[in-house]
Amino acid sequence: MGMKKLLFVTQFEELWFDALQSLMDLRKAGFNHVVFIHVIERNKVAMRRGKGYLKDEEVKLKEIANVRFIDWAEALYEQGMEVGAYMVVGDLVPKVVSVAQEEGVNLIVTGHHKRGRIEGLYAGSETLELLQRTSTPVLVHKYMLPSGKVNDKPFERPLFATDWSHACERAVEYLIDLKEIIQEIEVIHVASEKSLKGSSAMEVQKTRKESKQKLNEVCEIFRAKGIGAKAHLYVGDVAEQINRAVHEHGASMVVAGTTGKGPWKERWLGSIPRKLAEQSEIPVLLIPVQIKPAGN
Amino acid sequence: MSKKVLVVDDDPDIITFVVTVLEENGYTPLIAKNGEEGMAKTAEERPDLIILDVLMPKQSGIKMYRELKGDESLKEIPVIVLSGIAKRTFLRSQEALTEFRSQSVPEPEAYIEKPAEPEELVETIKKLIIE
Repeated sequence: MGMKKLLFVTQFEELWFDALQSLMDLRKAGFNHVVFIHVIERNKVAMRRGKGYLKDEEVKLKEIANVRFIDWAEALYEQGMEVGAYMVVGDLVPKVVSVAQEEGVNLIVTGHHKRGRIEGLYAGSETLELLQRTSTPVLVHKYMLPSGKVNDKPFERPLFATDWSHACERAVEYLIDLKEIIQEIEVIHVASEKSLKGSSAMEVQKTRKESKQKLNEVCEIFRAKGIGAKAHLYVGDVAEQINRAVHEHGASMVVAGTTGKGPWKERWLGSIPRKLAEQSEIPVLLIPVQIKPAGN
Repeated sequence: MSKKVLVVDDDPDIITFVVTVLEENGYTPLIAKNGEEGMAKTAEERPDLIILDVLMPKQSGIKMYRELKGDESLKEIPVIVLSGIAKRTFLRSQEALTEFRSQSVPEPEAYIEKPAEPEELVETIKKLIIE
């Protein structure tokens, strides 16, 4: 797969042009087309008693987005890149999914829309909903480092958290495709404390050894493609341990597969992608499971 | 027979404006909503003139212009670029692509920054279409 097109979702307040500029390293991996999308939520232009559909408001909001896009597009065109833009009214996630499909993008970039705890619990986060409805990898981009500096090489030192799932196998392929911009990958697996419970120390050691062996096999796949990789095993709460590993290894991005659990299971049992998107201080690249076309 | 003018733009308001101007002046408008559609329609209809936007979904006017001017059978069709993107940017992007792909393209026959005045548009069309 040649990396070509990126969909940049500007609905989220955090995403500005310097966030996009911080991803320009992706050009070395063959990426040369940016598609902007700005979704005006229906309630902002919805029918009001005595006023009808707020057409003027729609025009105003579209033009505000257009002014911003023209400015951004000019900067990208001058670098020899291809640019497209959508300004649409509707519900955010369905619109993003449909444009991603229509344009055939290889990556969706969003910010993380912060919500209150209760609101998030009932409404779910946009990121989670997006992951459940698309096969396209989603980058929850946090381009400002806690130090206040811009993370301008987010793909340089990714930390890949694997649970051996199909989505993680897809993630391996995706990362290999980005090898031009990756320096080294830290491959980690977080085992649950429960999985290490055994009747003897030997049994626990056996589980540890097996996990380490699997991790090394993943590292070998990367090394065979010329990407440096190191294996690390952690034990405990997945999201917590991933964040710990990020600090220990100075990672520039977290990469993880999604579980493919149904929306309700994700919501009530807790979603690792959502926790990562919310808690991580660095960008999080989430690879969804391949969605099968209807009828298959 | 009236001359055919292909309008390549994704903005319905601009399409309505340009189509109205064209019809009022006796031209036959054709419409495409992005560069991909624009190239297909150009090959199919052989318009006498193309009015081209730059920032569009799927394929931009920059890429379509490059394809058009690189096609031996279509490159003589005159183009008016009608866009919010500055002319300087359009030219610089073509230069950047030329550097990358080593195929240079000529400047467009006319460049109008949006919004266009109807008189300005008609005058430019008349200059470029040989009756």
